[in-house]
Formats: sequence, C-alpha cells, structure tokens
Amino acid sequence: MNPRRVLRVTVLLIVGPAALASQVSVQAGVHIARAEHRVLDAGALVPTSGTLFAASLALDVRDRFEIRGEALGGHFAATSTPSVDDHDVAELQVLGAVRVRPWLELQAGPVMRSLSSPLGRQHWTIVRVGAEAHIPLALEHVRGLLGGYWMPLVSVSGLRKPDVALSLTAGVQWLGRRVGIGTVYQLERFDFPSNAGTQRLEEFSALQLRITVWTSIRKPVSPS
Amino acid sequence: MNRVALMAVVYLSPALAAAQGNTAELLDRAARYHADLDMERELVILRQVISPSSPFVVTHEQRVLAYKYLGAALVVLGQADSGVLYFRAALERDPFVDLETQKFTPAEIAAFNQAKRLTFGLGVRAIAVDTIDPRTERLTFTILSTHAADLRVQLRSAGTATGLTLYAGDNDGPRELQWNGLLADGRLAPSGRYELVLAGVSRLTQQSDSTRLYFSVQQDYPPLEDTLPALHTDELLPEQQPSAVASRELFRGLGIAAAAFLIPRTLANGELRDGGRSLATGVVGVASVAAVAGFIHRRRHREITANIAANSLRRAERVTTNATILKRNRERLDQARLIVAPAAGIGP
Repeated sequence: MNPRRVLRVTVLLIVGPAALASQVSVQAGVHIARAEHRVLDAGALVPTSGTLFAASLALDVRDRFEIRGEALGGHFAATSTPSVDDHDVAELQVLGAVRVRPWLELQAGPVMRSLSSPLGRQHWTIVRVGAEAHIPLALEHVRGLLGGYWMPLVSVSGLRKPDVALSLTAGVQWLGRRVGIGTVYQLERFDFPSNAGTQRLEEFSALQLRITVWTSIRKPVSPS
Repeated sequence: MNRVALMAVVYLSPALAAAQGNTAELLDRAARYHADLDMERELVILRQVISPSSPFVVTHEQRVLAYKYLGAALVVLGQADSGVLYFRAALERDPFVDLETQKFTPAEIAAFNQAKRLTFGLGVRAIAVDTIDPRTERLTFTILSTHAADLRVQLRSAGTATGLTLYAGDNDGPRELQWNGLLADGRLAPSGRYELVLAGVSRLTQQSDSTRLYFSVQQDYPPLEDTLPALHTDELLPEQQPSAVASRELFRGLGIAAAAFLIPRTLANGELRDGGRSLATGVVGVASVAAVAGFIHRRRHREITANIAANSLRRAERVTTNATILKRNRERLDQARLIVAPAAGIGP
C-alpha cells in the first residue's frame, strides 16, 4: 500500500473519532410513568392501569441530529386482584430526530410493543412520524413540550390496521447544565375498523416523570 | 489715443521713480558729504529731507536717519547742543538708533551718549516669522532702554492683565531675552495672540515709558483623532424586557397546561370514557404553576442579563478606545512646534 495513503488513513482513524466525539453528546435517561390502557371491544370496556419503567439512550450530533432508543416495561392490572385482563407490556422504540429550528424537532421511528397476558401475546409494530416543539417559558431553563405524531404504519397481530392512529404529548421540562427533569403527559389513540358491527378501540395514556443526564453542557433554547 | 497714453507713460514713469528714490538718494549723498566732512552741503540736504515741505516721501526710518546725521553734522560744526537735540529727536523716534564707531568721531559719539542720557525710551525689535521647537529651541526678543532703568518685561496673552515675567530688574542698553514657549503655568502657549509689554522707569530722570510688541503663536502638530462619541440608545441592546413579555410567557405556560387539559378531552375517544384525564391533571398543574411562577419572576426581574453584559462590554470597549486615542493625541501634542509671527494688535 502507498505509504502516503497509509498515513492518511492513520490520521483519519486517530483524528476522526476525536473530532466526532467533540460534536456528539450522549444522553441517558430513566422515566417512571403511571399509565392506563383502555380497550373497548364488542361493547365491553376493559380499563387497566399500572406503573411503567423505562430507560433511554440518545446521541445528539452537533446539537442538530438525534437518535434515541428507549426500552420500557411494566404491568397493567384491571383491579387489585389478578384477573385475565392483567397483562405485561414491553416496548422498544427507536426515534430519529432532526432539529429544523432551535425549538422544533421533526421525529420518526419504529416502535415494537409486546402485550403479554395469560391468554396470549400480542405484537404491535408501529412507525410514527411527528414533531415536537420546545417552548421556552419565563423561568430560566424551563420549557414546555408539545408533540404530535401520526402513525401511518401500524401492525397488530390478530387485528387489522387501525383507521386512526394518533398520539399527542404535552409536558414541562427543567434543563440544568447536565441534568434534566420533566413531566410529560402522552395519549395514544387507535381506532380499529369495524368487524361484524363492532369496533375495537384502544388507548394508551401515561403521565411520565423523566430524568435525563447528558455528557456535554446543553445550550439554552433560544426564545422564539 | 493709444499713442497719447504711451507717450504719457514714457514721460511720467521716470519722474515717479525719481520721486520715490530721491529721499534715499539724498540720504546717501548726505552720508557721503558727512564722510568727506562737507557739513554745509550735508546740512542743506538733511534739512530738505526733514522739512515738512519736502516733495518726497520720507519714511520713519529715513527721518530717524536724517535726524541722526543732522545731529552728527551739527556736533562737527561745534553746535553740540543743537546736535544733541537732533540726536534726541532720533532716539525718541527709534530707541535702537546708534552711531557706528567706524563712521562717527568720538565727539559725535559723546554727544549722542549725552542725548541718550537725556532721553528715556524703551524699545523692542520686531520679530520675524519663525518656527521653533519648544523642546530644543527658544524665541529671542531684543529689547532696549536708552539708559539705565528699572525694567519689567512681561509676556501675556493679548487682552489679559497677567502673564509671564521674562525680565525684571536693572537694564542699560540692549538686552536679549529668550522664551521657551511655556506660560507661567508651565504649559505650552496655546494658539492665539500675545503681547510683550515693556515698562520701565528711568534711573536718571525718573521718567517712565512703556512699549509693547504684538505677535501671534500657532501650535503646529499632526492632526488629532476624534474620540468615539457617546453610545446612542439605538447602538445598545435593550436591557429590560417589555412588560408585555411577562404576559406572553404566562400565556405560553398556560397554553401548555391547556394542551394537557384538552388532549384527553379531544383526542381521546369518548366511548372509552375518561381516558387519561386524571393523568393529564399532573401536567396541567405543573405547567400552570410554572406559568404563574414565570410570570411573577419575569415581572420582578425584567433585566436581560446577556444584553446588560453585552452593553457593558461595548461601553468598556469605547472607554478603552477613547483612552488610546487620547494617549495618541497627547503624544502628537507633545510634538507641537510654535509658529511665531508678528501681529498688528490684540485682534484682527
């Protein structure tokens, strides 16, 4: 191999990761959520609720691009005593985001969800597309969150593709130099097509308490 | 017509030139007669020069010269008292007048000295246009008293009562005084008109006399830089938020609370009954508290810290720049030279 090329490759191998590292911020977070899962099928409403735990890891590149992975798990129960409607939930989601304005992110990514009950397991595969706005509030380092997502691709085992699949979020975050704390309310709505005169409706809602830490000092959000 | 004008010029030009040149010529002839001891002819010529009926123009200097030679001629003719009178007339008109020892006899010089003792006058020689570097050069004034006198010489800005005393004391005859360009306060004389005032009292006759010389001083230095003007409000960033900002921030926070409140009521399917409303209350509460707290905080703290810091930086930069400019200007002023020129009086 040409010695000059070897030198060039060596320099790239040494300098490249260092240069990239200086532009990348790593975020790690956990959240705990109080959640509800409501299902209306064949005229019967089954509300369940539970506590979810999640952990997330995100890479922020040059304060413009972000890729985030999140794993979530928990148990939904209908009442205090065990029933057949009780089920566990496990979810893995990957979200890519690009910051088009200092206060606005466009996001897209897949979500894999598994609902397990004594009766069986149901797999959900969702692709969601949406945007999240970060709105600076008067208190320093505090911002509001508003998000909206459309889920054009939803595949649920044993069910047809829903006619309506939407999600909205609203919340408040405090961002310190390396730590952030926030509370977010999220609602997902799925309306499945009618089958033999009955329609299946499902809804996930959650109130999350998020704690996030990151490796580099976060720049303040510019006021809009 | 043209021919007539040309002939008039040809005939009249020599006559005009002769009229102007005659006094000088007469004085030259008188001096030659004096050297040849032909006093009779000399006196005729000199009396013609000083006569009020003289057809020729006689300048001040020519009249002084005529009196001087008249005095000398009369001394030679044995009329010493008359000679002294003419010498005094010459001295009164120009205290700097003198008899050259190589041209005049001891008797003439003795009579002239007697005239100087009898006549008290002070004089200062006119200065020529000159440029001096006050760090290394001096401006020289030549002053004179016709005989022993108590003399005081003051240099002052024209029109003012006090000034720098260049000399105070006894004087007899001519004296050279040097001025370094500084005033009594030690500062370089600013541009303007000045006067050199001589006042004295004769030690022989107790007569007093005074005279003055006007001159102008112009400081000459490289052009000075202008300092930066004071910062206008439009050059500074606003340091306080408008009062409307607090209300805007309140509405933003309440907007988040409203969104959290409305999501379960609008997006949720009504058939699922009360989906997530109680959960949304948490965010509604937090957002409302943040909105109100932010509103109060913004009302109490309207200052924009970043802008205040930026403005302080701009002000500090201006002060630093002006200090540098003033330093450079001082250095240029330190190099100032003085252009000195005769002046007619205290003002134009």
